[in-house]
Amino acid sequence: MVTTTAPTIDARRRPARRGRAGHRLRIAGSIAAALLFLFPVLWMISTSLKLPRDIFASPPRWFSTVTLDNYTSYITQADIGPRMLNTVIVATGAGLLSIVAGSMAGYALARLPIRGAGLIGGLILASRGVPPIALAVPMFLVARRFDLTDRHITLILAYCTFLIPYVMWLMRSFFMALPKELEESAMIDGASRLGAFFRIIVPCSLPGLLSTLIFSIILAWEELLFALVLTNREAATIPVAIAGMAADTEQGAMWGPLTAVGTLTVIPVVLFALFVQKWLIKGLAEGATKG
Amino acid sequence: MTTNTQTAPARGGTSSPAGPGDRRSRRPRAGGPGLRHRWRDLASRWVFLAPALVILAAVLAYPLFYTVWISFSELDLATFTPARSVGWMNYRTVLEDPGFLNSLKVTGVYLALALPLQMLLGFGIAFLLNVEWRGRGVLRALFLIPMVVVPVVAGGVWKMLLDPLWGFVNYVLGLVGIGPVNWLSDPTLAMVSLVLIDTWRWTPFVVLIASAGIMSLPGDVLEAARVDGAGWWATLRKIVLPLLAPVILAAFIVRWLGAVKMFDIALAATKGGPGQATDVVNLYIYEKAFRSLEFGTASSMATMVLAITMVLTFLFLRLNRYLEKRW
Amino acid sequence: MRSFPRAMRGTTRRAVLAGGLAAVLTASLAACGSSDDEVTGGGVGTAEKPVSIRMIANDAFARQWQDQMVPEFNKLYPNIKVTIDGVPYGDLLAKEMLELTAPDPTYDLIVADDPWIPQLAKTGGLADLKGDLGKFTKADYDWDDFNTGPLAAGEWQGKQYSVPVRSNELLMFYNKTLYAKAGLPEPTPKLTWQQYLEQAPKLVQDTNKDGKPDAWAVGTYFTKDPLTPTIWQTILNSNGGQLLDGDNKPAFNTPAGVAALQTHIDLLKYAPPGAATYQFNEPLEAFRQGKTATMFMWGSVYKGTAVDPKTTTLKPEQVGIQVMPVGSLSAGAHRGMWTAAVAKKSKQAEASWTLLQWLSSKQGEQWQSNTLGVFPARKSTLSSTPQQEWLVPVFKAIADGYVAIDAGKMWRPKLPESDAIQQILATQTSRAMSGQATAEQALQTAADEVSKLLKSKGY
Repeated sequence: MVTTTAPTIDARRRPARRGRAGHRLRIAGSIAAALLFLFPVLWMISTSLKLPRDIFASPPRWFSTVTLDNYTSYITQADIGPRMLNTVIVATGAGLLSIVAGSMAGYALARLPIRGAGLIGGLILASRGVPPIALAVPMFLVARRFDLTDRHITLILAYCTFLIPYVMWLMRSFFMALPKELEESAMIDGASRLGAFFRIIVPCSLPGLLSTLIFSIILAWEELLFALVLTNREAATIPVAIAGMAADTEQGAMWGPLTAVGTLTVIPVVLFALFVQKWLIKGLAEGATKG
Repeated sequence: MTTNTQTAPARGGTSSPAGPGDRRSRRPRAGGPGLRHRWRDLASRWVFLAPALVILAAVLAYPLFYTVWISFSELDLATFTPARSVGWMNYRTVLEDPGFLNSLKVTGVYLALALPLQMLLGFGIAFLLNVEWRGRGVLRALFLIPMVVVPVVAGGVWKMLLDPLWGFVNYVLGLVGIGPVNWLSDPTLAMVSLVLIDTWRWTPFVVLIASAGIMSLPGDVLEAARVDGAGWWATLRKIVLPLLAPVILAAFIVRWLGAVKMFDIALAATKGGPGQATDVVNLYIYEKAFRSLEFGTASSMATMVLAITMVLTFLFLRLNRYLEKRW
Repeated sequence: MRSFPRAMRGTTRRAVLAGGLAAVLTASLAACGSSDDEVTGGGVGTAEKPVSIRMIANDAFARQWQDQMVPEFNKLYPNIKVTIDGVPYGDLLAKEMLELTAPDPTYDLIVADDPWIPQLAKTGGLADLKGDLGKFTKADYDWDDFNTGPLAAGEWQGKQYSVPVRSNELLMFYNKTLYAKAGLPEPTPKLTWQQYLEQAPKLVQDTNKDGKPDAWAVGTYFTKDPLTPTIWQTILNSNGGQLLDGDNKPAFNTPAGVAALQTHIDLLKYAPPGAATYQFNEPLEAFRQGKTATMFMWGSVYKGTAVDPKTTTLKPEQVGIQVMPVGSLSAGAHRGMWTAAVAKKSKQAEASWTLLQWLSSKQGEQWQSNTLGVFPARKSTLSSTPQQEWLVPVFKAIADGYVAIDAGKMWRPKLPESDAIQQILATQTSRAMSGQATAEQALQTAADEVSKLLKSKGY
């Protein structure tokens, strides 16, 4: 019964007969769209391989003297390593914590009869309307009061405040798309609600769940304002380092190293997404055949 | 992936077998197996909301209270506590501030342009991507990159690309005899550029969520439609859209809440300029609080923005519920 | 696939734990009272009991100091451990304000940009260097050797809160090659604004004769940025005008003010396409690429502009540096001191002040200039011969600049509201630059908003 939703990909393995040309066209279209969206990224990468004096050449050049200097020199002298580690800890921590809390809440909103749940959900969502700057200062005061500034956990909790509402709402929509018979039959089998949720519902919503997780991690990954206010050194993340480099008031921003670090920060997330996707597709295929 | 029975200790038979139909109106069975049971049942439902509520209440409650409190006070910068209450004075100052009112207008224009564009592009690209071929997974992952590039760098790279002197965009336009175009220094074009940059940055989010939604579509339904000989437009309108409706609406709401808060890209690309042409409200508040150190008025602005966002969000949710029911 | 739910369950437990922690966190939040405890020195440490001090500084030089300045300092004071945290410039002031207000502040030393001392001092968080810390001041620390302008940056309401540790000024850079190509004489410190504006059209040149201009006269701040108004403010100052009068009322909404802003706007005509978006980096890059003949910019960029072949296409002999053009009163420059202060509640005030004294002493300053190329504030350093040859013309320009700064009071408003004023001016300047308002209208609006702001603060 799980298989009724899972094997979507397999079910459409054969492109429709008349779809051959359309199929090719869509592939071409998606590649074109990707190139368009990736163009600034390619420019960033090519910039990171230039000498600083060539970056602002006019007319612009794709490559002049190719150098890895921006990668080697800066990264050895700045705290890029520890800061990258902090970013990974904080982003995965916040991502996981909010995916658990958020998807549970999303499930409650989608499926469980709770009086007032709609209002609670609405309020949680609408709380996102507060300008982040208004939250950052009091959060800092609270954290300082309890001697929690410059800690990973503080940043993780701060990020949860904006991730949980998003996760909750996205997951609610994915859960609503599931057939209702799913958990009902699970509970006939005697599973508790929580048990049914984690064993049946979650595996069936993996595409949505993992996409939402990736989105959450990305949001936490690049967040600057809270990181700036709540950390000093020990828990400082990459975006803080990058902001500092961009605001170099002595020599001018070093766009070479900046784009190099920018490129480096993109890589782990893309690798993670690729890995998740491989795993997901494999998992779905397995689920389909097993069913 | 078969149903799991080995561990569950069968506590509370909360199932409502063959409970027909509407999930919203389903209530616990009246006169069920006793009070204890019903309480347990209720608790087992609230357990799902508890983690989110606890975290949010713990981390968010005081900051929200503080913001509202400060908005009625003069802040003592020596302690960051209110020095004295000033009633509605901060609000009056804010409402008389043409800069703030202008920033609301700018935000409205930006949202009205950016949101529909991103939703359409995002779902369009997701459909394009949903073709079975080897490169699809890689393409999907690559589509994430614009979101991952840190705003400061993204804004800087775009500034480089759009610069009339050394920018690639104007260089290409120059080859076909256009320009140079002052993308970021003309008030109207600056807004266009900001929307373009923001669309570049956040369409991938819509693609990500839309792809997941499309992936979760039950394949047999589509297959059945195809066997019935339905055209792609009819399939799209009658089957795909209704099934995707919750995901589309959720993506829209998340994007709306994200877009309302946007200020990092504006700060990096235009600094809200020229003049106040791209001074979105969150950038205005950020600069008031963090650059001018006017935390009192900034808090009033924040509270007002919160109120406006809440009202609009509830309207959207209303619409959401209506559409979900209708489809 | 099967392990997935289990992994998630583990996380749930952690989530609940974290949630509980957070609940405890917000359970109460008492106001952080600021008791005026007396400054106790804390000593300079011994080999057995070294002391640690922490400094908050601009990210742009925090690392350079940590890696090079601190070891040099430790040669003299090995028992003072110094940690320097960098914060991006744009958020540094707000961060310092937040950190300073703690009952037990994280930072002992606060590095502040030129206009920040009044705002920081107003919180009561800074120690009075001559009063509170006077007893720890070395006998040979020569206060009178400082140029008056730089030292005044650290003073507010009669108290000396900070000392100059990294000096800077807005100066004029020029590209000698482009001047020669235009057939114009090289600028001298006597160049007036009138002469400059007469020459500017000739500096827009087509050097490769393809029918399109490829070199322009000028690059400087034009975009919406708090530092953009400093350009026309300097023009106003060198004509004898001021932003605020003695009673802190706006004094820039005058014909002289409008003329100064209009001059700044007119510079756009001779600037490269897209110059209206120029902030700090863009004019710099245009000049480094040999696209502009002159640049009004912070002197600190000289090394990366004229000397370092990695960052610039120009050579030292191509780049001139001097004060900005002369007005009716004096030449132009604009003060941009980085000064450093000691937190009043610091437990290690003596060690902190010791570091600052060394860094701003005659020896410390000379070491910093010679090793790091940082600009000095002391007369003795400026009259010495720098070890690095490229600093020779720079020292001359800096010294001329200090004279001009004193003559025209060329700094940003010395008030706790300084940054708020600068924000207002930035927005209105940008409106005028982009043609959304005339110079008169922009200054009128700015004057109204500034007086409203200052009135609400009780001036």
